[in-house]
Amino acid sequence: MEKPVQAINRYKADLRDFNFLLFEQFKLQDLCGKAPFEAWGEEEIRSSLTECYRFAREVTGPLNAIGDATGCKIENGRVIAPRQFEDAWKKLYEAGWISIGVSPDHGGAGAPLSVAVLTLELLAGSNAAFAMYPGLAHGAGEVIAAFGTEEQQHLFCERMFAGKWGGTMCLTEPHAGTDVGSAKTTAKKNADGSYNITGTKIFITGGDHQLAENIIHLVLARVEGAPPGTKGLTLFIVPSVRTSPDGTLGERNDANVASIEHKMGINGSATCVLNFGENGKCIGWPVGGEEKLNQGMPQMFRMMNGARIAVGVQGVAVASSAYLNALEYARERKQGSSITHWKDASAPRVPIIDHADVRRMLLDMKCRVEGIRALAVKLAFHRDAVSVYGATDEKVAVYHQGQVDLLVPLVKAYGSDQGFRVCETAIQTYGGAGYTRDYPVEQYCRDAKIFSIYEGTNHIQAMDLVGRKLGQAGGANLQSFLGDVSKFVAAQSSHPVLGDAVKRLGKAQEQVGATAMRMLMWFQSGNLGMVPLSANRVLEMMSELTVAWLLLDAAVIAEEEKKKVDAGHPDFAFYSGKTQAALYYARNVLPGVEFKGKLLEEEDKSPLDIPNEAFATV
Amino acid sequence: MKILVPLKRVSDPDNANKVKVTGGKLDASGLEWKPNPFDEYAVEAALRLTENGTNTKARVGEVVVVTFGPKEAETTLRAALATGADKAIRIDALDDALDGDVVARALKALVDKEKPDLVLLGKQAVDGDSNQVGQLLAEYLGWPQATFAASIKSNADKALIVSREVDGGALNLKLTLPAVVSVDLRIVAPKSVTSIHTPATHTYPDGVRFAALMAIMAAKKKPMTEVKLADLVTDAATKIKYTGFELPPSRKAGIKVKTVAELVEKLKNEAKAL
Ligand SMILES: Cc1cc2nc3c(=O)[nH]c(=O)nc-3n(C[C@H](O)[C@H](O)[C@H](O)COP(=O)(O)OP(=O)(O)OC[C@H]3O[C@@H](n4cnc5c(N)ncnc54)[C@H](O)[C@@H]3O)c2cc1C
Repeated sequence: MEKPVQAINRYKADLRDFNFLLFEQFKLQDLCGKAPFEAWGEEEIRSSLTECYRFAREVTGPLNAIGDATGCKIENGRVIAPRQFEDAWKKLYEAGWISIGVSPDHGGAGAPLSVAVLTLELLAGSNAAFAMYPGLAHGAGEVIAAFGTEEQQHLFCERMFAGKWGGTMCLTEPHAGTDVGSAKTTAKKNADGSYNITGTKIFITGGDHQLAENIIHLVLARVEGAPPGTKGLTLFIVPSVRTSPDGTLGERNDANVASIEHKMGINGSATCVLNFGENGKCIGWPVGGEEKLNQGMPQMFRMMNGARIAVGVQGVAVASSAYLNALEYARERKQGSSITHWKDASAPRVPIIDHADVRRMLLDMKCRVEGIRALAVKLAFHRDAVSVYGATDEKVAVYHQGQVDLLVPLVKAYGSDQGFRVCETAIQTYGGAGYTRDYPVEQYCRDAKIFSIYEGTNHIQAMDLVGRKLGQAGGANLQSFLGDVSKFVAAQSSHPVLGDAVKRLGKAQEQVGATAMRMLMWFQSGNLGMVPLSANRVLEMMSELTVAWLLLDAAVIAEEEKKKVDAGHPDFAFYSGKTQAALYYARNVLPGVEFKGKLLEEEDKSPLDIPNEAFATV
Repeated sequence: MKILVPLKRVSDPDNANKVKVTGGKLDASGLEWKPNPFDEYAVEAALRLTENGTNTKARVGEVVVVTFGPKEAETTLRAALATGADKAIRIDALDDALDGDVVARALKALVDKEKPDLVLLGKQAVDGDSNQVGQLLAEYLGWPQATFAASIKSNADKALIVSREVDGGALNLKLTLPAVVSVDLRIVAPKSVTSIHTPATHTYPDGVRFAALMAIMAAKKKPMTEVKLADLVTDAATKIKYTGFELPPSRKAGIKVKTVAELVEKLKNEAKAL
């Protein structure tokens, strides 16, 4: 008999780590109370995290396995998301967590991004599929808030931020995935200034659902006569139900779902094929009005930072709960005896957490999860510093914005890649139980795979890093970054506990600098084949350097704080965990940076040299 | 209706294994604090009595939350403000200088000042499980009391019908306000609290309401006052004297018996249970 799927929460988060990052490591309290974060103080932030975590456990978490088992359906030409999501949607908007970072001008709470990435982690970790619906509505709302005309903002933003209306981003077409510029969807101007949209978009997240009364599609299309490629793309607002300027709903707008995908994971999230203008009656308006024609890509790019950070956070969100569930299981599951009694068949059975290899897996997951979370919050903190200092100190703002730009591809790609791998390690930690649906980790693993693919595949992130970000501002952003790391190395390389690890960090920092020079040389000498071939590896090296730095920085703080509490205090264990996580990462992952750098020097081109027909005989 | 809700913070019951005893005293350092769940139910019930459930933004009464504790205990009060309570009072005191009797006498003095129509509190705090404050307070005030309320029906805010669960059924008590009522878990069931302000058709979600983000942000602006314990009670001596604390002995490992006879023998001679 089929086991019924029950509404049980499996989601876990370690809020102690969240608060450590915000208040002990990055010191967000220094930015709190300053414009534009006047309303935010430590107490509001702690309460928000606590309450949002409660929401995640009680509302979205219990629906995670149910959404996976139910999936989405098409009935009478309309998508039906899992029914239980309707109530969760309503409650989410009543509670306000999605709009925590939205400007108060549009009804949001104006929180620092450092806080918003963590509430996002709670929502995405408890139910990645569900969180996509409000996530896309929010992202689309932000585009209109940034670039829309005043009337467009007035009509759409608040409704989208309040969950009355949903939203989507429609870029992908059957022949235009990574290559967005080859989109064929067309827009033809009507006499009243609106445009007729015709074309097919695929893989559209939340392209249709019953959770909101209207869905506002943002569609990349080419106006008749516009240039080919990305330069000729315009972003159109295409409501699924037509609206009058006061928001009254009219007839449907000839933007219809043709089918939905059947996927490996995030099954509760509808991934739709959308037909625009099948009957010639799909109306849209350019975001920002007539003078913003052909500005679609720059507009999208401005918003892409936010979306890419969000995807990296999805990665760590799901991975974190996978780790914490595996940890709980490892403490309870008894199997085998201690290796010190390996000959004695009657020796007491021990929980698997006592076995060295299980401990290795647990610590491996811990340092990756906490390191990537630190990376995401570090990025967000730079962004918040821009918000606070931007108006008064241009130099400081330029520095912080440069770091944001540099770190975005790392958060997106390293967060999503490692997030998936942590989920896989979590299954391995469980053994056979982890492979079954009795435990949440197999779903986490399936859900997490998509993160490295959408919002620009991770190779696209790597190319963004090596092709654009490393050389951005004449290389100044990279130089500042490397300078920050070497300042830390100089200050801590004789630390009594962490000194050796810090010295290793110094070596890795030098290696990343040298590798960046080599990339530049390849560009300059026309050795272009090596660039994409090495890009993913370079992104990984840079990510590992950054994560090791942040973990060691945390450990230095933890070692100090540990002195202030006695050994029985729960914080003593927490701080000890910080030190061990940093040491493990520095000893087992960080040395790979130098090694990978050496490999790059060998300029292996075998993937280019192998003839196509030599890959296989079939 | 004006309702006073005494609220206690307790160490997180999920972390009970972290409680330490140092030198015969409870050591609370490093423990995480949570509102006592029964007090949270009392806040929820008080909010339901002072609002129209179909439009909870417009208040039709006042809920004042009060706690005893150091400055950090204000976090617990602010969380209650974020769910909808209107104002908060912190009586500055340390946990180990308090017992149920001092708390009840201080609350009596506070009630004389605040003049609520109803004092609604949790039936007990899940740390000490004393279950005394409500009863003592009613006695000191000379007010009618009902304990362990599973449902409350407000009659035009003048009287209450309180239903308490007893063996084999429910006991309904009618109280004329002002009164003291302590609540049990069931008070937060969807239809447990009824009043003239909320249509009878309205159903609440089960449990304690969520604090919305905007309400968390607004809680800072709600009134929070501090009162010294000495301003409420001239005699702050506790009736209960704690002479020492110790952790319960850890359980011995069990054994497997081979036969029923052996089991009987062990129960009789070793466990002395027969
Ligand atoms: C569940 C799901 C949800 C999605 N949601 C949305 C959405 O809401 N809106 C939306 O617009 N799209 C969405 N997408 C589409 C997603 O963004 C694309 O799948 C992604 O951009 C990759 O495009 P593609 O699938 O066509 O792969 P392709 O572009 O065909 O890529 C295939 C492989 O080739 C590589 N590759 C492609 N081009 C290059 C190149 N120039 N250089 C080197 N390598 C290259 C890629 O890295 C990849 O490994 C979603 C997809 C999925 C599966």
